[in-house]
Amino acid sequence: MVARVAGVFDEKLTEAIANSKILVVGAGGIGCEILKNLVLTGFPQIEIIDLDTIDVSNLNRQFLFHKEHVGKSKAQVAKDSALSFNPNVNIVAHHDSVISNDYGVSYFKQFNIVMNALDNRVARNHVNRMCLAANVPLVETGTAGYAGQVELIKKGLTQCYECQPKAPQKTFPGCTIRNTPSEPIHCIVWAKHLFNQLFGEEDPDQDVSPDTADPEAAGEAGASALSSEGTTSGNVDRKSTRQWAAETNYDAEKLFTKLFGDDIRYLLSMENLWKKRRPPTPLTWDNLPGKDDPPTQHSGLPDQRVWSVHECAQVLANSCKALQADLAGRPEGDHLVWDKDEKSAMDFVTACANIRAFIFNIPTKSRFEIKSMAGNIIPAIATANAIVAGLAVLRAQAILRGLTAAATSVYLRPKVNHRGQLFVPEKALTPPNPKCYVCAPKPEVGLACNLKSLTLKDLTTAFKDGLNMQAPDATVEGKGLVVLSSEPGETDHNNDKTLEQIGLNDGCALLVDDFLQNYEVRVRLQQEDDEKSWRLVTDTDAPMPAPKEEEKPANGSNGSNEPKPGPSRTRADSESDMEIIEEDDDETTVKPPKRRRTEMSDEVVELC
Amino acid sequence: MVENTDVELSEAEAEQYDRQIRLWGLESQKRLRASKVLIIGLSGLGAETAKNIILSGVKSVCLLDNEKLKEIDLYSQFLAPPDKIGENRAEASLQRARALNPMVEVSSETRAVDNLPDEYFTTFDIVCATGLKQEQLERINNVCRDNNKKFLCGDVWGMFGYMFADLVDHEYSEEIVQHKAVKRGPDDNEKNARETVSITVKRRAIYVPLQNALSADWRKPELRSRLRRGDPSYFVLKILLRFRDEQNRNPDPAKRKSDTETLFRMRDELVKELSLPSGFISDELLTDVYGVVAGAAAVVGGVIGQEVVKAVSQREPPHNNMFFFNPVKCVGFVELYGQ
Repeated sequence: MVARVAGVFDEKLTEAIANSKILVVGAGGIGCEILKNLVLTGFPQIEIIDLDTIDVSNLNRQFLFHKEHVGKSKAQVAKDSALSFNPNVNIVAHHDSVISNDYGVSYFKQFNIVMNALDNRVARNHVNRMCLAANVPLVETGTAGYAGQVELIKKGLTQCYECQPKAPQKTFPGCTIRNTPSEPIHCIVWAKHLFNQLFGEEDPDQDVSPDTADPEAAGEAGASALSSEGTTSGNVDRKSTRQWAAETNYDAEKLFTKLFGDDIRYLLSMENLWKKRRPPTPLTWDNLPGKDDPPTQHSGLPDQRVWSVHECAQVLANSCKALQADLAGRPEGDHLVWDKDEKSAMDFVTACANIRAFIFNIPTKSRFEIKSMAGNIIPAIATANAIVAGLAVLRAQAILRGLTAAATSVYLRPKVNHRGQLFVPEKALTPPNPKCYVCAPKPEVGLACNLKSLTLKDLTTAFKDGLNMQAPDATVEGKGLVVLSSEPGETDHNNDKTLEQIGLNDGCALLVDDFLQNYEVRVRLQQEDDEKSWRLVTDTDAPMPAPKEEEKPANGSNGSNEPKPGPSRTRADSESDMEIIEEDDDETTVKPPKRRRTEMSDEVVELC
Repeated sequence: MVENTDVELSEAEAEQYDRQIRLWGLESQKRLRASKVLIIGLSGLGAETAKNIILSGVKSVCLLDNEKLKEIDLYSQFLAPPDKIGENRAEASLQRARALNPMVEVSSETRAVDNLPDEYFTTFDIVCATGLKQEQLERINNVCRDNNKKFLCGDVWGMFGYMFADLVDHEYSEEIVQHKAVKRGPDDNEKNARETVSITVKRRAIYVPLQNALSADWRKPELRSRLRRGDPSYFVLKILLRFRDEQNRNPDPAKRKSDTETLFRMRDELVKELSLPSGFISDELLTDVYGVVAGAAAVVGGVIGQEVVKAVSQREPPHNNMFFFNPVKCVGFVELYGQ
């Protein structure tokens, strides 16, 4: 089927559209808009992938979905709605993750253009690699609030999505979270960790008890004998936290007394911490601020009002009860996953974060505000998505017309710039970074770590989280020795051995590859005694195309931009400010398979 | 300008509008909920504009059009189903427009603007007009202006588009983000925590009517100097409005060849009339002006929708007073004309 009315486009474009096949990755705010534009224009063959289902908070912009569609597959409903605009086009919908063996290089090769409408970096990195491997032009899009951008990625012609290291997620030192919070976000992170300790997936990096290993408190660890249950070495054993809570039947008063009374008194005993800080104030359950407030009729939405400490304690008690019941209804060994849209989970975090904030003399916040921070919500509006999707499809048309060199990045600015421009196109395509560890002809990267302490398991994490691989295999260069295999069981027995024990040494190079992504990179190991975890070392000697400050859109830190566990900051990362901003969805639309980490693994807690 | 905004949002509204309230705040959402919008012309651009405004959660939207749905509309008009060709465009769009957001009252009006009395237009808080002739636009603009109502108009021809705004005397608030250091305790010497503080400032913008903007005097040196910046979109708009006035229609894809010749001739006349540099208005800009291309309608409809939100919520600086989308360069920019 050709563009429906002859004469709208010139013959070349009309024919190119008629023979095109387009893949749209993501059926959220931008995805719905792109799909509509493609279908109306008469693009005859379209496939759309999204693993997400429809939520009420999508309806203010994802206009292909209505209330009755809540809970259904985005890809499927988007297809059905869009077909009603033009029943003559062919749309294939996949309710699926794009990170899957089902969508390999040969799948990507069948498309003339791939259009990304994603909301998270993991999936963007993956599609970037697939399009490089398949040599298909990728139109990358993103919005955050009023701002947005469209960028063409084409192998060998432009920089790829990973040419410029992305700014790492903001992380907080573990001791700030556990001992010395000073901002609301510290208390929110602590409250989410507490949720996991009590109801969620256990993670040793998310301890919520006082940290006696805090270097600031050195010399007095365990000095005080104010031990509450389980505090033997200062670190409450996490299993017993859950166990202890279960034994007390999640009794709100007991939990409160331990977390907001005993633990705070323990922190106070670490006197070095409070020499230059205002010390926290422990609270007592039956004498909380706001208790004697006369019951008033509050108008407006309860989410918008800041609750008193007394109210927080009541909410804590109620949410604990509900979460305990939820947990009890699950099979043995199962756990809850924190979700900002789940009422009790959000109530719990709001209440605990605010009580802790009060104790540390930090401003308390409304549930609405805490939800933004805890859920990494990026505001999203229909108009910015419509504009970005419109520009993306116009750019796709230019590419089909053969005007690839003119299809430069375009930025939608929240306000006009000094030249009165609202949509600002770049003057030229940005060439690839020759040192890019993804799209360079022979990709290479350094990995700084302490070979004496980094285990094979940690190395796997570095490849997955640092190099965004899905199923890495690694061999020693020149020897062909298999260090790491993506086949289950083949190298698992070495998981807890250090790299040194496996026989790897400073300067040795690994060839690491990911079969699905058709991607291989040479990783040089660099011994650094002080490195507690691992760090990627990109070649910063090479002149990198400098990001243009002026064109930089608002930097969205979306749900998925979400912090990866483990790595300390990449050195080159801190230089980077060029970042494709995230799409509107706050949820991860595409989750990698085989990843056990849930959305909860939000904040990186560095070791102190 | 808008009525009662005292009533709190319901839980259902807060839930559905959550992601935008996080951007523009509760107050703006309440103002949106109190505003009545008229959309004239249900072309692809009208449909895009209607979609964005209905999704935003205004009180009511009236779709006004006396034309019948044609095949060429389907290229970008997604509110009217393909099987309703021949029916009134506004009526054909009603059902899907309502489904976009059941919390908004959507109605239709099938009389031609020329048959409607001035008072009709003043029952709305803001009017968005597309597809009309210059004379019709000026009449409605002046009626709105005399009654202190906001007026926007815009059009998309092929891939090219524009918007004009007359918000009369517009007061708005603008949020300015400032960073300040905060101290937590009396002897808190820890590296100072930074807090972003946003302060709200009140501002005012004065607008001019459309006839002023479209009759800008290019002999004046301050306008001449704009030519050096080099974007001819204003003149492309003049040519296309003139074409519509003279031919009583838009450029027709079926007559692409002859209409392109007509447009080039009109371009040459305008260049002479205003003594513009030759070659200033390239052929390229006048060749993709057929039908309404979906991507361009989305872009211009997005801008108009956002300006309506800004105008009725009286938040953030609205564009003053013309926006152009130049598809050759893929640039969108704002310029002030007629002052």
